[in-house]
Amino acid sequence: MNTATAAIPSNEVVRFAKFLLQELKPRGKWLTPFNIISIPVILLGLVILYFRFTLGLGSVTNLSQQYPFGFWISFDVMTGVALAGGAYVICFVVYVLRLEKYHSILKVTILNGLLAYIFYSGALLLDLGRPWHIINPIIGNSFGYNSVLFLVAWHFLLYTGALFLEFSPTIAEWAHWERLRKFLSGLTLGTVIVGITLSMLHQSGIGAMFLMAKPKIHPLWYSEYIPLLYFVSSIFGGLAMVIFEGTISSKVFSSLIGQKTHHSHDDIILGLAKGAAITMFVYYFFLAFIFIHGEKWDLINTRWGCWYLVEVIGFVLIPCFMFAYGVRNRRFGVIRTAAIMTVLGVILNRQNMALIAFNWYVPNKYYPSWEEITVTLMVVFVEIWVFRWVVTRMSVFSKE
Amino acid sequence: MDRRQFLIASATVGAGGIPNVNIKADDTRQPKEFVGVLVDTTRCIGCRSCEVACSETHSNFVPDVKGDNALEKKRDTSERQFTVVNRFTTVKGEIFVKRQCLHCWQPACAAACLVNAMLKTKEGPVTWNGDKCMGCRFCMISCPFDIPKFEYSGWNPRIMKCDMCYERLQQGKKPACVESCPADALMFGQKRELMEIARHRVYSHPDKYVHQIYGENEVGGTGWLYLSAVPFDQIGFRADLGTTPYPEYTREFLISIPLIEFGVPAFLLALNTLTDRKDEVREKDAWTEAGANK
Amino acid sequence: MTSGAMVEYYSYVNIFETKGLAYLLLLSFLVMGVLLIRYLSGPGRKDAAPGKKDPTSSG
Repeated sequence: MNTATAAIPSNEVVRFAKFLLQELKPRGKWLTPFNIISIPVILLGLVILYFRFTLGLGSVTNLSQQYPFGFWISFDVMTGVALAGGAYVICFVVYVLRLEKYHSILKVTILNGLLAYIFYSGALLLDLGRPWHIINPIIGNSFGYNSVLFLVAWHFLLYTGALFLEFSPTIAEWAHWERLRKFLSGLTLGTVIVGITLSMLHQSGIGAMFLMAKPKIHPLWYSEYIPLLYFVSSIFGGLAMVIFEGTISSKVFSSLIGQKTHHSHDDIILGLAKGAAITMFVYYFFLAFIFIHGEKWDLINTRWGCWYLVEVIGFVLIPCFMFAYGVRNRRFGVIRTAAIMTVLGVILNRQNMALIAFNWYVPNKYYPSWEEITVTLMVVFVEIWVFRWVVTRMSVFSKE
Repeated sequence: MDRRQFLIASATVGAGGIPNVNIKADDTRQPKEFVGVLVDTTRCIGCRSCEVACSETHSNFVPDVKGDNALEKKRDTSERQFTVVNRFTTVKGEIFVKRQCLHCWQPACAAACLVNAMLKTKEGPVTWNGDKCMGCRFCMISCPFDIPKFEYSGWNPRIMKCDMCYERLQQGKKPACVESCPADALMFGQKRELMEIARHRVYSHPDKYVHQIYGENEVGGTGWLYLSAVPFDQIGFRADLGTTPYPEYTREFLISIPLIEFGVPAFLLALNTLTDRKDEVREKDAWTEAGANK
Repeated sequence: MTSGAMVEYYSYVNIFETKGLAYLLLLSFLVMGVLLIRYLSGPGRKDAAPGKKDPTSSG
């Protein structure tokens, strides 16, 4: 019985059930600041969702015929996925380029990516008009091959599966299933390679979804290169998010992290910041080229032009320089600030494409309702709850 | 089998083996062309009988055309009405324009729909299938005319738009709006015939019409065609939509998918293999050991 | 003739007008890119700027 697919004896099932129940018990204090804020929001969000599913989307959102995509799509799905790009980038760096320096942040980045994709696919389900029909594009009822969204949906699904496979050795280790863990570890290189490929396509695919909306998006944001820009921005958005989340995690969960890992943290941050700076520089070149190629100089003199410059200079070029300065002079505060600005820039770019510069000439603009924001917060908070549960019980952080 | 039969057979078999991404007419032996409607806005009197007939046929909201003064404002189609008539005041007087889905030849909505709920039928009308629709609203994002409307106030929402009375067409009838028009402003038929009639009208009365048939080439050609006495941008039509069929905008991206899905894993595997230092490290260790053992 | 015909039919777009500018842009970014990479690989060597020698400083 040397394969992971050998029959599982029934006393193992009993042992695991007992183990799981034990693990589900809460640890630590109940009334932490985070809990006090998040629990009411989560409960309120559930109430809002009750109304959403019984009375329809219009009862809790500001969606309209002119704005079919709202905050749940532009933020939860589009931005969430772009910022989860750290997972495939770090996997590429560790498994393909074999830079062992980043190995210690690999598991937590994969976990964050996995949770992001699970929760943001969940958020998508909340936004669909008939979510029960989501099995249609999966079971082959009618495949719309001609649709970019078909590609995005399938790649989301497959990539979540790949992330789960990448994280599964950690789960197997937690559940004391050693043979399974070994088997799953052997799959890692394959799933990483598949995961990187899938990521390239669905990150750019989300951008490609807007290609047919050409007459509705302001020309400063629209170009045929949107898919490329979305892919590149997912790289530096992901790296910035890893820096940002890593900064928080290393403080909040510092008791779980070993000395050696703490000490190597600085070098990792410098490396990530270097990567972000270079990627953002390349992105900026693409932006400049598209601008010249599309002869968009007349558009800069307008109010929209100013807004465009705020995004690409204030939230791309400036943090790029800040990263570079922070790396060269080992200024970690500068790097952290640059990471936050970069994340805000990616958020801003996605909101611009889907909401702000979308149907930009229409008089009745869309802004998210308080219910939409509450549900979004609920999704994020529940995700953090799950993250906290996982890292305090599984060996996500290195104990060395 | 003689040579002619052999050539036809092998051509058919060969053609069958070619993957068919853009399905045009699927029955090549009896070519049927797409149907459409010609809307002559110089004839429309704004009675809105079409709005009433359409809503009655589809169990939608039937407007009170006598008392609602709806023509005083510009309206769009909605989740309650597949079609509306708007009134425009121009140098040539009042012009009434019926607005509804234009049933494009290469619809953006059908290309966008990942479950084929939006479908370009082989007869021509673009229809919506509620059994497949997920309510993702991507068709709404993609339609250059902003036609599909969503029932935001329902737990089981539909996408609402004109379907050119597809079920009536199957029974050999004409669309309800065309039948109900008292002024002969709407004419149903194959686009080829409608184009000839439209051209004939324009050439016969060159001062009555602008020399453009809206829908001839816009967005790659639409099933519904319009004639007008004034330039189309004055009666609520967009002139900046281009003549490229909208699915074309995503074609290059979609084509690149299989290339990336093959090329990138190959490239990454190659990188992983090329950066493999196991042999190098083993040799180095062997040399070091040999040196230490001297 | 009252024509509502679209300008797209009758205009001529010369994509080569911007090509020269695009190549200049490419050249300048390549040069700047090399400078950026050199800048990023800067200190951490023994001849780094004085006062910044401590490798565990956290700005």
